[in-house]
Amino acid sequence: MVRPCPICERDALADRAENEFAPFCSKRCRLIDLGRWLDESYRIPAVEDDEVEDEGAPPTSNSGRDERTQ
Amino acid sequence: MSENNYDASSIGVLEGMDRIRKKPGMYIGNVSDGSALHHLIWEVVDNSVDEHLAGYCKTIQVKIHADGSCSVEDDGRGIPVGNHPDKGISAATLVLTELHAGGKFNNNSYATSAGTHGVGVTAVNAVSEYLELDIWREGGHFHQDFKRGEWDVPLAKVSDSDKRGTKVRFKPDLEIFSSVTEFSRDIVEKRLRQMAFLNSGLRIVFHDERTTSEPQEFFYEDGALAYVRYLNEGKNTLHTPFFFKGEYETTIDERPAKIQVECAMQWTDSYHEVCAAHTNNTHQTNGGTHVTGMRAALTRTINKYAQANTLLKETKNQPLSGEDVREGLTVVISLRHPHPSYKDQPKTELVVQDAKTAVDAIVSEKLAQFLEENPKVAKVIVERGVLAAQARAAAARARELVTRKGVLDISSLPGKLADCQERDPTKCELFIVEGDSAGGSAKQGRDRKTQAILPLRGKILNVERVRREKVLQNQEVGTLITALGAGIADTFDSEKCRYHKIVVMTDADVDGSHIRTLLLTFFARQMPLLLEKGYLYIAQPPLFGVKRGKKITYVKDEQGLAQHLIDAGTDGVTLLTASGPVDAAKLRALALDLHRANSLLEHHASRADPRVLGAMLRAGVRLDRDDFVGEAGEAKLRAAAEVAEKQVGAEVPDLLPLKVVVDDEPGVGRKRLILRARNGSGSRTVVDSDLFASSEVRELEAIYARARELGPTPWKLVDDKSRETPIAQVDALYRAIDERGRKGADIQRYKGLGEMSADQLWETTMNPSNRVLLKVRVDDVVAMDKALTLLMGDEVEPRRDFIEKNALNVRNLDI
Repeated sequence: MVRPCPICERDALADRAENEFAPFCSKRCRLIDLGRWLDESYRIPAVEDDEVEDEGAPPTSNSGRDERTQ
Repeated sequence: MSENNYDASSIGVLEGMDRIRKKPGMYIGNVSDGSALHHLIWEVVDNSVDEHLAGYCKTIQVKIHADGSCSVEDDGRGIPVGNHPDKGISAATLVLTELHAGGKFNNNSYATSAGTHGVGVTAVNAVSEYLELDIWREGGHFHQDFKRGEWDVPLAKVSDSDKRGTKVRFKPDLEIFSSVTEFSRDIVEKRLRQMAFLNSGLRIVFHDERTTSEPQEFFYEDGALAYVRYLNEGKNTLHTPFFFKGEYETTIDERPAKIQVECAMQWTDSYHEVCAAHTNNTHQTNGGTHVTGMRAALTRTINKYAQANTLLKETKNQPLSGEDVREGLTVVISLRHPHPSYKDQPKTELVVQDAKTAVDAIVSEKLAQFLEENPKVAKVIVERGVLAAQARAAAARARELVTRKGVLDISSLPGKLADCQERDPTKCELFIVEGDSAGGSAKQGRDRKTQAILPLRGKILNVERVRREKVLQNQEVGTLITALGAGIADTFDSEKCRYHKIVVMTDADVDGSHIRTLLLTFFARQMPLLLEKGYLYIAQPPLFGVKRGKKITYVKDEQGLAQHLIDAGTDGVTLLTASGPVDAAKLRALALDLHRANSLLEHHASRADPRVLGAMLRAGVRLDRDDFVGEAGEAKLRAAAEVAEKQVGAEVPDLLPLKVVVDDEPGVGRKRLILRARNGSGSRTVVDSDLFASSEVRELEAIYARARELGPTPWKLVDDKSRETPIAQVDALYRAIDERGRKGADIQRYKGLGEMSADQLWETTMNPSNRVLLKVRVDDVVAMDKALTLLMGDEVEPRRDFIEKNALNVRNLDI
């Protein structure tokens, strides 16, 4: 079974018995992927949870949290 | 240069030739490994190629004869046959017998040449058992025989002839050569093909007469282009190769001179650069100034193009390095230089400086033009380089991660991980918990013998003040890798994984599911073996807690809550209908059906008011596709509207009166029924053939048909204390049961893990005897990976869709 490599979109064998780098096509693409995790490139949209109920929390609370982690 | 200059007087004379046989290694290389042996052919062929470069030779025929000799014949001018002014013998004989005698020392005869300047053919003669020289020139055919470099009879005219050219046939002397004494067909073929690549328009015919094979012909109009294609045979190429040539005008020794450049390039998906650089037909294995010029032009031109066309977003506009740009490049450079200079005698590196300027100038101009004219190819080339740059940066970051002090040493973990006491991985569980407060509860609530807690939290970034995005921080990825103890990438070893249950525990909301998606995708991509081994799980924290007195029941989702309330609402209750009593178990099934019906009706809420469509279906209206056609159809729809109105009147009289319209559904050729409820209610129901053909309506029809089997309403609910609740219509039954179920119950909705106490978290989600964990399968993650791609993509619409549908809802994963 062949699926597109998540990085370069070339065909990559999905079965790890045939392709030790699955789901990637190559060691290289696996490395690029790892780099993107470490580079914080993989992001997903943040959803404000139930904004109506959240009125009590000032919208700046998130950025405040961020500063502490940096 | 005129042809007349190439006569006997242009041959310079230098001393000595016997030395060659005594020390052949000095002149022709290693005589026992085959390199010197084949070198003999190259020397002779080079002379003919030089005639081609001078513009006089079109075809060279190379034959390996059955006796092991080789002949090389060209159709050039023929070596001069006249007597040399000083020596009194023919120039041709001189060329074959005197070291350093040849026409190539002064550039009058050959503007560019490859040959080894006189040593060559003399040396060939010296180490040949015999050598036959034939020259066609000045209206005659001349011949001379040599044995081991010596001759008895001088060059003499054999016959008249109009032909022009030179033929040298020689047989290597076995007194000189050992071990390898026969020409290799493969080596000769490869070299001759290469010569044809490097000399566009030159025809080389090769025939190995020791075998029955046919003669091979090598002829290329644009040699460098054909050469690149040849080098890339069997490789996955990214575009058709491009080829260009140009001339660079310069001055050498205060005289105008031309440097000619021929170049072909093609990128493949390989990770290596293949660079075949040649000057005057010799290959520079160590490159030199022409390669430097090509590289400088390539890097500069491609970056300039990429920046002008905003193709460097992925590298944050950082220019690509030369190495990145050249990854996968196959390039052939063929330079004609009138006065090349090399670093070393074997000419493996070109050092002449104007070659750099010439190649840089020509490649810059032609490549820029090519990129502008072929934007698709240009994009492919730039993207190739961008990936290379990313790989390089990724490798550096991964290296940094792995070599960072003690990253693989669990004892160096910062306080984040609350590890368990057990050391046997098969008994150990790692809970990856989203958020610090939940992490705190989990740390307090856990079984510290076997359960370890790693709190992670997606960092929220504000992107362009519009979008807010979540990301797993670099250090958190690092912490996760360290905590698992199995390494990463090349160092990954699943045997070293410290936990055989890795449980992702996130909030039961959209954000939680997104973080979970990120985490599982990370595992699936970078540690797929853990998935295959079945180490990966998803925790299922409850979404609701229902408190009755001191007892709390936890349910995981809305559906679970509805079931719980139905259980409580039907407990000890009997439904009385005209056809008899319905017991609690059957009533429970009916209530579940009706709850299901409500959610099916919601499915079409945007085009059909659930109250109106529901009433219509509860009243037993059924419509087939044919019922929407023609006048008969219109009558059917109006009849259905009447039934609906009557039922709505019984169930929700506030919606009356219904305004009924039957019209043609645009573009379909069928009728449709539109029902508008009382002014101001905003209720509108469009009944068309598609709606009634939908699986939801089909299922609704079946559910309400089962309810009608119980007989006509009104019904009565009777509890164990004989209290009665009248049920006027079917739709009231579920409401009554639900209401009864909520009586005395305090329902709490947990917005996040953090809202649960440590004890609650333990009881509901972590305690192995109560909890339900979902095992993550490889297939799940394939779907998840697609979802992630969608989530991270640039297109806003699919992302929004995705978020709304929350397709990664944990409930979609099978156990």
